[in-house]
Amino acid sequence: MAETEKTSTRGRAAMRWLLAAILISAVAASGAFSGLMNKAGLLYLVLGSVAAALMGFRGPEIATAFRQAAGQAGSAESLGRSAHFWEAAARNAWILGALGSALNFTIALGTPSGGIADAGVRMIQSFLVTLYGLVLAVVCLVPAVKLSGKAEKMRLQGDARLAAETETGGPARASFRAVTPDRIAGYVLFAVVLVLTVFLLVAGLPQTGPVPIAKVLLHWPAILVVIGGAIALALFMGDGAGARAWTLGFAMTGFVGLLTGLIQALLGFAHRNIGEIASACAFIISASAFSLLGLVAAAAPLEDREVMDGLRDKPGALSRLFWVVFPLLTFIFLVLTFIMVVLPMTKPGG
Amino acid sequence: MTDENKTGFDVDDLLRRALADDLPADVAGGMRRRIERFRAGATEKSAPAAARAWLFRRSVWAALAVLMLIAGFLLQGARSRSPLADRISELKAAAVNFEAPRS
Repeated sequence: MAETEKTSTRGRAAMRWLLAAILISAVAASGAFSGLMNKAGLLYLVLGSVAAALMGFRGPEIATAFRQAAGQAGSAESLGRSAHFWEAAARNAWILGALGSALNFTIALGTPSGGIADAGVRMIQSFLVTLYGLVLAVVCLVPAVKLSGKAEKMRLQGDARLAAETETGGPARASFRAVTPDRIAGYVLFAVVLVLTVFLLVAGLPQTGPVPIAKVLLHWPAILVVIGGAIALALFMGDGAGARAWTLGFAMTGFVGLLTGLIQALLGFAHRNIGEIASACAFIISASAFSLLGLVAAAAPLEDREVMDGLRDKPGALSRLFWVVFPLLTFIFLVLTFIMVVLPMTKPGG
Repeated sequence: MTDENKTGFDVDDLLRRALADDLPADVAGGMRRRIERFRAGATEKSAPAAARAWLFRRSVWAALAVLMLIAGFLLQGARSRSPLADRISELKAAAVNFEAPRS
């Protein structure tokens, strides 16, 4: 009887996913939203999310999270961990979306184009990756909310012990290991995805530009500020803060970088100095990109491991706030940068 | 009292008597030289370990990180040239030219 009910639950879940997939495929095939298509961005987001999941979670943990999202039973603790996996997947998608936009934006600005109009179109298209990230984040939040609700209910009913006895396939918590094959695979895949994305974005453009793309992507003042600031903040917070220190370090330094760039750009407008504005825009884009990279590739996986290894119940409240707010701020600042680049400066008295 | 305990008492008594007065100058000098040789050897052996310990000291990394932060801000403040900034300058100039015929 229980077995029949379990099979039925899984069947319903599979049917829901299948219907959603058919609907999305039909919409994509209709061409109604062809203006919203950025193939390189989509590929980057999907593969990047897989890589980010591997960086923070072990294979068995990921498999359990998928099974439990499809209706498999589990203890309150196991369901809670699976809920955390889906919440982390949503967070990764959101951060990766903003990071993809920043990288895409840099390439749109840094590669030769048919003038300001062409560069403008490519800059606008780069925002699509954030949109994809948001959609994927919403998709991942559905199982996260569902599983955390189930876990909470089980805790309240005091059924955790009973469920633990009947659990099938929930992985036991393993001891903390910084380097695992899953994590190595995740980091390698992430690096490959980044290189592949840049290659795909640059491949369609004329290669007559004056500088290689790698030089365009590396704006050293922003890199020094983000990495130096993040390490300094993490060290000053001490060991007690754990991985949260890195989240706060990267996010706060990125925020400082964004504001610094904005103020410098506004001063550039006041001084009518194009060089100053350009330098500030480059700083904003690079600082946001490297802060997001630090968040998704260093800080977030460390916090995930702390939760999955039982060192903490859940990620810090401030970390969660920054994971939501910083990519949003990046998006807003990229839009501001776009406006600052395309906004023509008039001569005094003109 | 067992034989073992008796031996222990004998040695203690011997040490107490031997160290009751100051050591002769030549004996003390010899001991000092041996201690110095031992210390010098120990320092020589642990030099790489000390270097490693210094490298992994939190304060060193903190200082390095703060220096990176300051260098980044100084470079940005000095508006050091970068390929990305140059490209943005070109586009910004193009935007001015793009706008010019209308005015």
